[in-house]
Amino acid sequence: MAEWPASPSVIGKRIPRLDGLLKASGKAKYPSDVHPKGLLFGAMLYSPHAHAKVKSIDTKTAEKLPGVKAVLVIAGPGTTLRYHGDDIAAVAAETEEQARDAIRAIKIEYDVLPHVVTEAQSMAEGAPEVFKGGNVKKGRGQTKGKPEDAMASAAATIEATYTVPMITHVCLETHGLTVGLEGEKKATAWASTQNVYGIAGDLAQALELDRGDVTVYTEFMGGGFGSKFNADVWGTTAAKLSKMAGGRPVKMFLDREQEHCAAGNRPSATAHIKMGADREGKIVSVIAEGHSTGGVGNGTNMILPYVYRGVPHYSVGQANALTNRGGSRAMRAPNHPQSCILTEAAVDDLAEKLGMDPLEFRLKNLDPGSPMTPIYQAEIPIGAELIGWREKRKPRGKTGTGPIRTGLGMALHTWGGGGNPGKQVSCTIHPDGSVDIKTATQDIGTGARTILAMIAAEILGLQPTEINSLIGNSSYPPGQPSGGSTTTPTMAPPCYDAVTKARDALFKKVASAFNNARPEDLSLKQGQLWAGGEPVASWKEACRKLGTSPISVTGEFVDGLSSTGVGGCQFAEVSVDLETGEVKVKKIVAIQDSGLILDLLTWESQVYGGVIMGLNYGLFEEVVMDPTSGRMLNPDMEWYKLAGASDIPEIVVRAYSPPDEKGRQVIGVGEPPTISTAAAIGNAVSNAIGVRVTEWPMSPRNVLNALATASREGRA
Amino acid sequence: MKAFEYAAPTTVDAALKLLGGPNAAALAGGTDLLGRAKDYVTSPDRVVYVKEIKELGGITGDAKSGMTLGAATPLSEIVHHSGIREAYPALWQATSEIGSIQIRNMSTVGGNLLQRPRCWYFRAGFGLLGMKDGQSLVRAGDNRYHAIFQTDGDALFVSPSSLAVALIALDASAKVRGPKGERTVKVEELYRVPRREGESELTVEPGELLTHVMIPAAGKNGAYEARQKQAQDWPLVMSAVNLTMQGDTISKARVVIYGVAPIPWRSEAAERVLVGKKFSPEVAAEAGTAAVEAARPLSMNAYKVPMTRTVVKRALIRAVQGKGYWEEG
Repeated sequence: MAEWPASPSVIGKRIPRLDGLLKASGKAKYPSDVHPKGLLFGAMLYSPHAHAKVKSIDTKTAEKLPGVKAVLVIAGPGTTLRYHGDDIAAVAAETEEQARDAIRAIKIEYDVLPHVVTEAQSMAEGAPEVFKGGNVKKGRGQTKGKPEDAMASAAATIEATYTVPMITHVCLETHGLTVGLEGEKKATAWASTQNVYGIAGDLAQALELDRGDVTVYTEFMGGGFGSKFNADVWGTTAAKLSKMAGGRPVKMFLDREQEHCAAGNRPSATAHIKMGADREGKIVSVIAEGHSTGGVGNGTNMILPYVYRGVPHYSVGQANALTNRGGSRAMRAPNHPQSCILTEAAVDDLAEKLGMDPLEFRLKNLDPGSPMTPIYQAEIPIGAELIGWREKRKPRGKTGTGPIRTGLGMALHTWGGGGNPGKQVSCTIHPDGSVDIKTATQDIGTGARTILAMIAAEILGLQPTEINSLIGNSSYPPGQPSGGSTTTPTMAPPCYDAVTKARDALFKKVASAFNNARPEDLSLKQGQLWAGGEPVASWKEACRKLGTSPISVTGEFVDGLSSTGVGGCQFAEVSVDLETGEVKVKKIVAIQDSGLILDLLTWESQVYGGVIMGLNYGLFEEVVMDPTSGRMLNPDMEWYKLAGASDIPEIVVRAYSPPDEKGRQVIGVGEPPTISTAAAIGNAVSNAIGVRVTEWPMSPRNVLNALATASREGRA
Repeated sequence: MKAFEYAAPTTVDAALKLLGGPNAAALAGGTDLLGRAKDYVTSPDRVVYVKEIKELGGITGDAKSGMTLGAATPLSEIVHHSGIREAYPALWQATSEIGSIQIRNMSTVGGNLLQRPRCWYFRAGFGLLGMKDGQSLVRAGDNRYHAIFQTDGDALFVSPSSLAVALIALDASAKVRGPKGERTVKVEELYRVPRREGESELTVEPGELLTHVMIPAAGKNGAYEARQKQAQDWPLVMSAVNLTMQGDTISKARVVIYGVAPIPWRSEAAERVLVGKKFSPEVAAEAGTAAVEAARPLSMNAYKVPMTRTVVKRALIRAVQGKGYWEEG
């Protein structure tokens, strides 16, 4: 079994991203910045209707417009369109304006069909069907023990319906790519993707080429969060348009409206939850019935109860209500943020009912069978200290008398994030001392480029800046698609393997040149080759001994360098204006474990990003669908609200990484830190105002509505 | 965006000539018009750029005799104007919360006053009244950001200009020039409730140009805004008030509210509570309560009622007492 060095010189340090300056200074060329010679602009025509059949489509006028080079019909007569944003046709033209004008010149007759865009519409009796066979699909149900009996004997119970809306990925760079052909057999694309290797396959299939005939570049990309694994209809359409236009490259990036409507979402989730505990504060029973929608795709697979899996009795039922809206896609920790909100809200309410500190209540209810339990037990006191839980937290409803109330809340989360075998990294040591690391993965924010360079630098005794870390090219050895927090734990082992083997090969080749040393006498540190405890040559001098034969090795996954399974907790401090319902988050504390941290700086950056994304989920984001027209009403960045700089509070990030954590090896951290933020914020709001806000996000509307309901019912 | 003819005149006379053509639109900061054009909500055949016309720029006058704002004055100039901050805190507060620094640098007084509503049905192409097949999409749909007053009518959008709310509280007038000459109207007269689709909510006619806004000397004035985000966002509701005092007693009151009606909403009910009374936080609260008595919220915006009550109360307290009971520290 391979092992990470016991006393590393690079790993675990704060190493700035190798491409950080390029990104910060605007010099980095993202796929949507690429402008190859002869570029044509592509535009998509998409459905304005939630549900319609294409009766006829006429592209003649569009084809004759100036600058138009290719028009392609995607949804011909008879095709059913199932959501606002569904693909109909595409155009490539000399300018963006010409392409957009041509799109509008395509004449379509629709047979508009009745639609369902809300869960209520979808689940209503006799509702129009999204697909044949009914809208409501029963999901995975689970029963353990005798939940009804246990509930009946509980000392305290709560019962409420908690809801979190559908949100979208809102990638800053919208989905898309630029693709062109040279001759019959060679295609080149620049794609905004989290799967540079896979996209080459998608495009090859669309162009009827071999995979190797297509080269895809993703040097940089502006966010995917789970929504950019495939070329998608618009990507393969761009390839076909390029072919129709004699191979001229076609740039096809979605407009923001179609991005919101068609390019993925995190499904909504609603659950009616009953939860009961005994006098000592042990949860004895959970009965939950939930439903969700992911548009034409999967709904939320609710994990209820979430981290508290040791509850002896529970039953969970859930249903996915199909709606006429673009389908869901994986989104940063699929199913977990929703499950966390639903569970943690109920747990908080039950602690309140029992008159217990919700922190103590959580500690009491950790699953004794879970390997995460000792991690939570260690993390929770650290977070509590950093947020000031003991000094600042007041019981719900006892937060003062003025109109501005502050409150504290917390939540727990878990995730996998392990590595998978099967991917490769190559390492080439050139006679001039330069080192190339190559793999067809990409950096979607994980710091992949920097982390691979750090591993190579560690093993070769160099600095990360001395390594050419080459990623984002589909012709390199097959690399990992960035999903499930797997990029680092999957790519680190083959990188370690390749560089270690290349180093050993170097030792073997050059040892004799240094006083006839044996390869096993050699080592590398501080940019020097050492033999028997003495520096004998600089790295470059040592490599020069290779003569004309560079060393090139492809590494495979090796065991012992990565593992899976993390736990984390987050705390939020908020202030709420009781008279306006405005919520301000004052501080968030995030405690996270993820085994051995390779680059502490990119690791912290991942956690900050996750927390900010979770803050948006907690305060701002929601997809708003119009029940009558079936359209998304906020497919923009005006009414689809996202935090600006002044909405970001103090964020305190702490890695939980004692020595035995490091022994758990490398685990991904991309997803876990976004899971529990929104739950912690919601719990803090309820603590501040004295009543539960059952609907996320914590908007002034939802807060004032909760206060009004409580006041009507005499609870506040 | 539909292709258009473009002109950048340097005098108001030249601009009026150009605006006299069919389907022409005046462009200043472009923060509204360009978005509307890209979304095909407005498709002018001619765009007349007026921001560089010198007579339309600048802030003149003083607190005593009143001030005049050129229509092409960028909002950032108001924010940086210490005289305005001093004399017209209602205007200064309202302006400093509009959009972002970038938007305030680009957008102008005239552009802000004459921007079109943000109603998402209007912006999606369903018209200002948001009707489909004779039914109100707003009433049946998501009306969380819509009106709470006069909701028995068909116009359910909310007037988008928070600058207008402050200027109406300050009893400002607007100079409008057109082919028939110049007219001066109260800022509140720039707005009307459209009775049918196709009728504009603005009274400035095609071919006319708003040139100046005149603000008289003001009493104690202030504004208060409630919003979801702290960063760039629209107010959910806001209020601007202006009180003329005789000794301790309020002799005249103007209370105007944003985000509650298709026009900037002058609350005479609140004003009636205030006039003749000595100011106190309790009187401010009473005025807030009176302000919402006639509110008839739609299906999803009842939250605006307590919010409106609060912003009226707080605008009054801020106008008279400066710092409010809700402010920390």
